[in-house]
Amino acid sequence: MPAQLSADIVVIGSGIVGALAARRLAQQGASVLILEAGPRLESARIVAAFRNSPLKGNWMAPYPPSPWAPHPIYVPKDNGYLKQAGPYPYPAEYIRAVGGTTWHWAAQAWRLVPNDVRIKSLYGVGVDWPLTYEELDPWYQEAEEILGVAGADNTGSPRQHPFPMEPVAEPWSMRRFRERLAPAYPVVANTVARNSRGYDGRPACVGNNSCQPICPVNAQYLGINAVEAAEAAGAKLVPNAVVYRIEHDAKGRIAALHYYAPDKSEHRVTGKTFILAANGIESPKLLLLSASSKYPNGLANSSGMVGRHLMDHPSTSLTFYADEELWLGRGPQSPSSINTLRDGAFRSQHAPYRLDFTNISQVYGVTNDLIKEGVYGAEFEKQLRWRAARQVNVKNVLEVLPNPDNRIALSAEKDAMGIPKPEAHYAIDDYTRRAAEVSKADFARIAELMGGTGLRYSAEGQFANNQHITGTMSMGNDPASSVVDAFGRTHDHENLFVCSTGVMPTAATMNSTLTAVALALRTAEHILPAKQARAATAHAGREADLA
Amino acid sequence: MATNLPGSIGTRCDSPVDPSRRRLLAGLLTAYTASLIPWALAQPAPHADRGAFTALSAILVGRQALDAAQATRLYDALAAAHPNFPADVQALLALINERHIDPLQLQGVLDGEHSPLAPLPRQIVSAWCLGVIGSGEGARCVAYETALNAVIVADVLKPPTYAYGSYGSWAAKPNT
Repeated sequence: MPAQLSADIVVIGSGIVGALAARRLAQQGASVLILEAGPRLESARIVAAFRNSPLKGNWMAPYPPSPWAPHPIYVPKDNGYLKQAGPYPYPAEYIRAVGGTTWHWAAQAWRLVPNDVRIKSLYGVGVDWPLTYEELDPWYQEAEEILGVAGADNTGSPRQHPFPMEPVAEPWSMRRFRERLAPAYPVVANTVARNSRGYDGRPACVGNNSCQPICPVNAQYLGINAVEAAEAAGAKLVPNAVVYRIEHDAKGRIAALHYYAPDKSEHRVTGKTFILAANGIESPKLLLLSASSKYPNGLANSSGMVGRHLMDHPSTSLTFYADEELWLGRGPQSPSSINTLRDGAFRSQHAPYRLDFTNISQVYGVTNDLIKEGVYGAEFEKQLRWRAARQVNVKNVLEVLPNPDNRIALSAEKDAMGIPKPEAHYAIDDYTRRAAEVSKADFARIAELMGGTGLRYSAEGQFANNQHITGTMSMGNDPASSVVDAFGRTHDHENLFVCSTGVMPTAATMNSTLTAVALALRTAEHILPAKQARAATAHAGREADLA
Repeated sequence: MATNLPGSIGTRCDSPVDPSRRRLLAGLLTAYTASLIPWALAQPAPHADRGAFTALSAILVGRQALDAAQATRLYDALAAAHPNFPADVQALLALINERHIDPLQLQGVLDGEHSPLAPLPRQIVSAWCLGVIGSGEGARCVAYETALNAVIVADVLKPPTYAYGSYGSWAAKPNT
């Protein structure tokens, strides 16, 4: 490897967001270099690692962190990478590897609802985004066509053009929820980057029911597909390149990146434009790490907001037995949800939420429960079948408002490369807690309509995390209160952009990936506009495909 | 892929019997335990420790048949992980033989008496039903598709990572 690399565009991070920005820029003829801290992974090895894992309930088990680019692991014990400053734990999970965290996702590819970007104006809470839903719409469409998104029109998110694909076939279990909860609750198909037919060389779903930790057949779009597309468009990728400093010049422009190889040899990469796309935790960490005499609080941080406004989606849930056999585990893991509570006047009082039904096989969990309870003999088989057929779960996906006290900071503790670890400061406020309380009535009603017995609510005051890391580099028009502008350009450094879920100023109620991809495509267009002729051709092609 | 799936597992302990060593599992059982696993009476048990493991396993997991090759694998793994394993297995089987303990009551009895054998049923059931030996950081997986929790539901579900079927096949009512 040469001691120094250079490109027009240098992207830090090879997750779905950074890789799709890289792809688009490479398609416009720019030389693009992607630096990824982690190693390349192989799908078949991930599948084998899961099958051989003694901890089938721990979906991070097939993704052991590399020593030079650690990521948080909590089971069977906390590896101590993401330090917890409290008061509430924030056990985020993500993957530092080529392709990033969407190796391991449920392919939920949701749009926001239009009011999500105006909650300050409409409800007096949070902040407004510096752009409208209508401005996002074409970028959502472009993202959906790249990822191959299957969805229905009845989820509350308007669109100008059709989805690339019909919704994925509804599992029997979800059909029964839909039929039995109507008309009290409309249960609709989730919007997913999962194929309901062959799309872009990848097959239709065949129901492996392991979307997390890995789709073995690539029926769902993965970050590695984005990387391969970027490389096909001409982008170069350096794996195992742990960027530890962003270097600026006297004028405040970014001049170079410095990275360690696993042997801790130091490398310098120059470029004209830099894109930080290392996720909502590693990206602010790197900005803070890059403090200099000119920027003592870190880069892009004249507002003091880098790392702040950390948000995610906490969940509480209800598990119960339905009064009929539903057999979760047939088809994809997360097929259906209730979307009517994503918006409303109540948002001035409490958080909105989505209600999500799992279709994850219950066999593993039930087996563990039976062993824990000491159910042996003939009763074991009988109970396993009875519970696995009937056990269901509904959870809420709650909005968290931006709060500067919730933040990612640098820990005093360092990783094996001598780089400070990230430290999470997090709390869940009353706005979110009130919604969790309100949703209990929904849980109870849903259980009632399903003839539920054995109701088990998640423990009072306990929230599961959903790994939708948002807000740590928020976009806004005011440089005093935000990190990047509406196009993802840092207010402080003309040639430094951020593509990440971290730029989202509010978290809304939806998985954040599609919005981050849409924003990244918009950023890429802003950096280097698509050639008009090519754009027209592409659009015509899409029209033909849809016809 | 189909050959790896639970459906292909032998469902009887039908390894050939050596007539010169016609010691049967029945010899390790009382009338009470034999009533729990009547199929086992005629099974060969040339090795008392392994025979006791097969009998105790069958009682604990409540199956009327167990795969012989899997039994060998699990026994070896459990014996390697727990030095006293063969003696403990014999002791627990003897306890059930003598006291006619209902499998459903067994854990409560052992826990209530603070028996040193109390961890044993969970170790054996975890091995058969989860395919896991040990726990925490020392845990390891010795079976997945052939673990009993997959086998018991194999008529309805595939173990996660295995394809359920052609696109949309999950839309139909489960055929149980």
